[in-house]
Amino acid sequence: MAVVGTRILTVEDDERIRTSVKLALEDEGWHVEEAETGEDAISTFTREPTDVVLIDIMLPGIDGFEVCRSVRRLSDVPIIMVTARADTHDVVAGLEAGADDYLTKPFAPKELSARIRALLRRARPTAPGNPRLRFGDLEIVPQEGVVTRGDEQVHLTKTEFRLLVELANHPGTVFSREDLLEKVWGHGVFGDGRLVDVHVRRLRTKVEADPANPRHVVTVRGLGYKLQS
Amino acid sequence: MTDHSASYVDDRRFGLHPGLRARIAICVAIVTLMASVVVAATTMTVTRRTLIDQREESVSRRVLANSRTVEGSIGRAATQDVQTVLSSLPDAGKPSVILAVNGRTVTASLDTRFGVDAIPRSLRDRVETGDSGIMRFVIEGQPVVAIGVPLSAQGGSYFEVYRLDDIDAGLRALSWTLVLATALSTIAAGAVGYWASRYTLRPLTRIGEATEAVALGQLDTRIDYDEYAHDADLAPLVSNFNAMVESLQDRIDRDARFASDVSHELRSPLTTINAALQVLSNQAEQMPERSAQALDLLRLDVERFTQLVEDLLEISRFDAGAVRLELDGVAIVALVTSTVSNLTDGSVPVESDPVLDDMVIACDKRRVARILANYLDNARKYADGATGVFVERHVPDADEIEAGVAEDDVTLRIAVEDRGAGVPESERARIFDRFNRGDQGGSRGSDVGVGLGLALVAEHARLQGGRVWVEDRDDGGQGSRFVVELPLLPVDDVEEDLSAATPEAASALTLTGEHKAISVGALDDERGST
Repeated sequence: MAVVGTRILTVEDDERIRTSVKLALEDEGWHVEEAETGEDAISTFTREPTDVVLIDIMLPGIDGFEVCRSVRRLSDVPIIMVTARADTHDVVAGLEAGADDYLTKPFAPKELSARIRALLRRARPTAPGNPRLRFGDLEIVPQEGVVTRGDEQVHLTKTEFRLLVELANHPGTVFSREDLLEKVWGHGVFGDGRLVDVHVRRLRTKVEADPANPRHVVTVRGLGYKLQS
Repeated sequence: MTDHSASYVDDRRFGLHPGLRARIAICVAIVTLMASVVVAATTMTVTRRTLIDQREESVSRRVLANSRTVEGSIGRAATQDVQTVLSSLPDAGKPSVILAVNGRTVTASLDTRFGVDAIPRSLRDRVETGDSGIMRFVIEGQPVVAIGVPLSAQGGSYFEVYRLDDIDAGLRALSWTLVLATALSTIAAGAVGYWASRYTLRPLTRIGEATEAVALGQLDTRIDYDEYAHDADLAPLVSNFNAMVESLQDRIDRDARFASDVSHELRSPLTTINAALQVLSNQAEQMPERSAQALDLLRLDVERFTQLVEDLLEISRFDAGAVRLELDGVAIVALVTSTVSNLTDGSVPVESDPVLDDMVIACDKRRVARILANYLDNARKYADGATGVFVERHVPDADEIEAGVAEDDVTLRIAVEDRGAGVPESERARIFDRFNRGDQGGSRGSDVGVGLGLALVAEHARLQGGRVWVEDRDDGGQGSRFVVELPLLPVDDVEEDLSAATPEAASALTLTGEHKAISVGALDDERGST
């Protein structure tokens, strides 16, 4: 069951979908705010405290991608995109716009709940007595949710941070995309590896001196990713 | 489709009908031959006449002159000297000079055949009556010309006979030359026609290639109209061809889009239905039993309907060519084991060839998992569930090598076995067709889905350069064995495509082909991430 008091903002122009999803999510114990348009969503988001945002891509007025970017500018809350098309373009564009995960219609509300729960999980603390993890100029403090590169603090979204900590907990170990999908997103066998790729890329732009030639978050050809000093 | 076009080509070559090029060459050759024959015949006739006329004219003049000489000599000299006179004439004895005076005949000839008897009666009569005459005739196969002049003073006749066979020999030589020239020009014309027809027919060759490309599914094939715009004969053909392919492509796109659009339209209501159903299901315990039962029925069919829409969308993506192969290094046995245990709660054993256990191969994980899921689902629906999954390395056996499989063409086979009623031989090919539920015997009860699952399996396998089939169980027992065979690609063959997550890179990776797709458009992660 959901963490009591967790607030979800759903942005969906189809009233029936909006209402039924709200009912189903409320049954799961979440508190749900609704928004019909992108404009509504942004004003609600600035007004109300929100823990997770659920955005339909196809919206009248400003579209889901734009809403996503606006929310991301304001906050690092988890964002789940809902799309009618699992086509490459929509999904990747949504992730590029800052979404943490996506679902295609029709989805089972239980699946949605599971995804939300996974995104809200706290970064798993590392072994006790080792509160700081160092990778060259990169320092991670999992308990405090702080990452610094050199003297500068790096700002990561919750999901980026959890991805980094997951890699950091086993330095040098190669994680396949499936491993990471399961650990960070809670996906099963049919998870979409693009989620990992986009997040790794975003992570690199923040933690790497030269994101085009990453030194810390490196690709292991054909196998996956690992974190190194 | 390849087989089809190949047999078409064979048919074309097989018959007695020569191809277009050969026909053009033959026509050119025939026309050239006829023209050459006419020219040769005319040449022969004209030359012959001219030569003979000239000869007759020159000979006539000489004969006339000779006859004057003879006439004068005879008047003065003794008769026995006539022979001497004749012999002294220029050209005497070539072949004969004959003098006939009052029944006496004197001949000066090298050839005894040409006596006065040899001269046709009609010419002799004519000369005896006082007229000059010329006549061509044949003696013992030799063409000759005889000229007769009356000798008015003595009342006799003077003849000279000339052979014409030198002219005939010349003409024969000429005619052989002409025949040879005719033959050579005919052959040359044929060759030139054949060569020239290549240029004439180049547009047809181009159209032929374009047609073949379209037949093989490259519907974006077009012929450059501007290239043929100036050609009144070809321009309509080219523009009609382009229009035809355009409309064909439109139609196929429309059909593919229709299935996709329908599925998309169904997504929104299905989302509502799924969410509302769950809200209701949450209350099921408080419902009267009949309502709960009805709700359960509704839930099962909504699940089935949702799956159908998902499958339709997936298959329409294949039809629209909008599928994308994502090859990764995959520990294949681990993938199969975890997928099977996830989908069956660990109730289905997985057996693998130890050779494969630590092997990492290049394949599309999601599609392999999807294939397994659909096979397991099929076994659940029709055969009480799978009894085992087998991961094998297949080395071509003698029969396959005989049939053209390369000896080193080692493949991966994943098989799902069940103990159902089995699939009759006659149904085995059709069972992978769309919406073909096939005759899998024990179709049971409520949960019989419509058959898109196996059709999707076939598409997933094909995209990876593999194939699928169903056969008897390995142990020969009751039941079926559904197999997917995939190429065993080493990981080195996979270009890194982790960076394909930008829309541009992803669309560059949109693949439609079969096995060849593997090498297309992959990008390196490090370079692509800027």
